[in-house]
Amino acid sequence: MNESLQNLANAIKAGKRKDARAATEEALAAELSPQLILDALTEGMNDVGKRFKANEIFVPEVLVAARAMQKSMDLLEPVLVASGIQPKHSIVIGTVEGDLHDIGKNLVMMMLKGANFKVIDLGTNVDAEAFAAAVAEHKPDVVALSALLTTTMPSMESIVQHLNESGTPIKIMVGGAPITQDFATQIGAHGYSPDAASAVDLAHQLCA
Amino acid sequence: MNSKQRIRAAIDHQQPDKLPMDFGSSFITGIHCSVVEQLRAHYKLEKRPVKVCEPYQMLGEVEEDLLEAMGLDVQPIFPQRTIFGFPNENCKPWMTPWGQEVLVSEHFKTIQDNTGNVYIYPQGDMEAPASGHMPKKGYFFDTIERIDPNFDEDDLDLEDNLEEFGPMSQEEESYWTEQAGKWRDSERAISVHLNGTCLGDIALVPAPFLKNPKGVRGIADWYMLSADEPEFLQKLFDRQAEIALQNMEKLYKIAGNLIDVVVVCGTDFGTQNSLFCSVPNMRDIWLPRYKRINDWIHQNTNWRTFKHSCGAVEPLIETFIDCGFDILNPVQCSADGMAPEGLKAKYGDRICFWGGGVNTQQTLPFGTPEQVRAEVLSRCETFAPGGGFVFNAIHNVQALTPIENFIAMIEAVHSYNGDK
Repeated sequence: MNESLQNLANAIKAGKRKDARAATEEALAAELSPQLILDALTEGMNDVGKRFKANEIFVPEVLVAARAMQKSMDLLEPVLVASGIQPKHSIVIGTVEGDLHDIGKNLVMMMLKGANFKVIDLGTNVDAEAFAAAVAEHKPDVVALSALLTTTMPSMESIVQHLNESGTPIKIMVGGAPITQDFATQIGAHGYSPDAASAVDLAHQLCA
Repeated sequence: MNSKQRIRAAIDHQQPDKLPMDFGSSFITGIHCSVVEQLRAHYKLEKRPVKVCEPYQMLGEVEEDLLEAMGLDVQPIFPQRTIFGFPNENCKPWMTPWGQEVLVSEHFKTIQDNTGNVYIYPQGDMEAPASGHMPKKGYFFDTIERIDPNFDEDDLDLEDNLEEFGPMSQEEESYWTEQAGKWRDSERAISVHLNGTCLGDIALVPAPFLKNPKGVRGIADWYMLSADEPEFLQKLFDRQAEIALQNMEKLYKIAGNLIDVVVVCGTDFGTQNSLFCSVPNMRDIWLPRYKRINDWIHQNTNWRTFKHSCGAVEPLIETFIDCGFDILNPVQCSADGMAPEGLKAKYGDRICFWGGGVNTQQTLPFGTPEQVRAEVLSRCETFAPGGGFVFNAIHNVQALTPIENFIAMIEAVHSYNGDK
C-alpha cells in the first residue's frame, strides 16, 4: 500500500484526526484513486470495529476513530462525488419516538459510514410516519431503529409494525440497551445487533 | 435491629436480622412519580399529588407513610438544588404530559411547543436557553447539549469545565443545618448525594443547571477525552476532588455521623456488554481521585461510600474496591459477566451490592408477577447470606411498570424475610 494510504489507515485506527486529514491531503495531492483512499478509510474503520467487538477498545476510541474518519471524508467526499463513486447500500437510521438518546445510534451510524454505507440519519424522537416518509424518499436497503428505554420499546414495536404493513418491502434492524433478539423477533424486525460493530455485519447480511 | 442498624450491618458484611430494602433514597434507586402514585393508591394512603423529588428523571418522593407501608430502611436527604439548578421548594401543581398532577418546585419553569415537546429552563430562568427536553411521548427529561459557539476542541480550558464546582454556599449550609436537625433522631439509615464528587457523570456533563455552560459539554466530545486528553480529565478531577474535600468537611461539621451513606458518584463505566473505558484508563484517570475522596471519608467520618455504575462492569469491580468504595449499585446482573452467583462469590465479602434485586429492563416491566417473585427470591438467596446486600431494583423503577409486578417484588422480599 502507498505510504500516505497506510498513514491514513493507521491514523484512523489510532483516532488521530490531524494525521488523518494530513494523510488524506497528501493522497489527494498525489492524485491517488479516490476509491483507494476510501478503501484505506474502510480498512481503518474495519480494524476499529473488530477491536471494539473483541472488547480491546471501547466507545471513546471508536468515537475518536470516527472523528478522524470524518476529517478525512470532509476532504474526500467531493472527490468521490465528482468521480461518480457511490456507496452500494443505504440505510435510514433513527432513535424511536419518545426517546432522545443517540450515542448508540450515532456509533452504529459511524461504523456503517466507515463500512461505506450511505446513511440517512433521521435523528432522535422519530415517529412511524417520519420513518415511512424517509423510506419512500430514499428507498434504503435497510431501516435501523434504536431505543434506550423500556418506555419506548412499545414505540419501536409500533414503528416496525407500521413499516411492515406499509406495502414497501423493507428490512428492519433494531438495537439498544433493553432490546434483545427475542424482542426483535417478537415485533417482526428482521435483525438485532448487540453492538455497533455487529450492526455492520448485520446490515451486510440484510443487504445481501 | 432498627433500619439504621440493619443497613449498617449489611454494608459492613455482617448478617442483619433481615434483608434491608431501599426504594427512593437516591436518584438512582428511586421510583418514577407515576408508579409512586399507584403505590400510594395500592397501600390506601392519603390521596394527594406526588411530589417530584428529582425533575430530570421525574422521580417521585417516597414519603414517610409509603416508606412505612413498604417496609423500607433508608431515608434520603436530597440536595438543596435540583439538576436543573433550582431549589426544590414552595411546590406548585403541574400536569404532566401523561395526565398526572404532580407537585414541582415553584422554580420548575417549562414551555410546551405545538408538537407536545416540553422544555425546562436552568435555574428557572426562561431567558436562558432551555437545558432539558421531554419529548411528547416521554416520561422524563433529557439534557440538551448547549455548545458554546466559541468552543475549540484544540484549545481546552480547564476553568470552563469547573464553573459548577465551588465552596458550599451559605444557603446550602443553612439547608443542611435544618435537615440535620430534622432527621437527627431517624431510625432509618440516612443517605445523601455528595455535591461535586461525580467525576464525569454523563448526565451532568451538559450542565443542565448552568445558564450558559462553556467547555466540553457534548456527550460524544466528553467520552473522547478519555481516549484523547486523559491529562485534561486528570487535572479536572484533581481540582474537583480538592473542592469536594473542603465541602465534605463542612458537611461533616454540620451533619456528623447522622449520615450513613454518601452517594459519591454516578458515572457509568459499563454498557450492556462492555466498558466505557479500559481498566488501565480507569485506574490512571479515576482511581487516584476516587481514592482520595473515599480515604478522606473513611479517615474522618463513619460514612459509607456508594458508587453507581450501570452495565457490564465486572472487570472494574476490583478497581472500585481499590478506590475504597463500600457499596456498588445498581449491579446490573443482566449485563455481560454480571451473573449474581459469580459476583457474590468473587466480591461479596469486599463490596456491598445495593441493587441487583430484579431486572428493570425485562422482568419488572414486562414479566408476570410470578416471574418477578421467582427472580427476586433467587437474587435474595444468592446475595443476602452474610450481609453485603441491600435490596433494590436494578436502577430506578421506570414509568409503565405494572403495579402488580412492583407489589410482587416487595412481597417477595418480605416473604424472604419471613414477614407477613
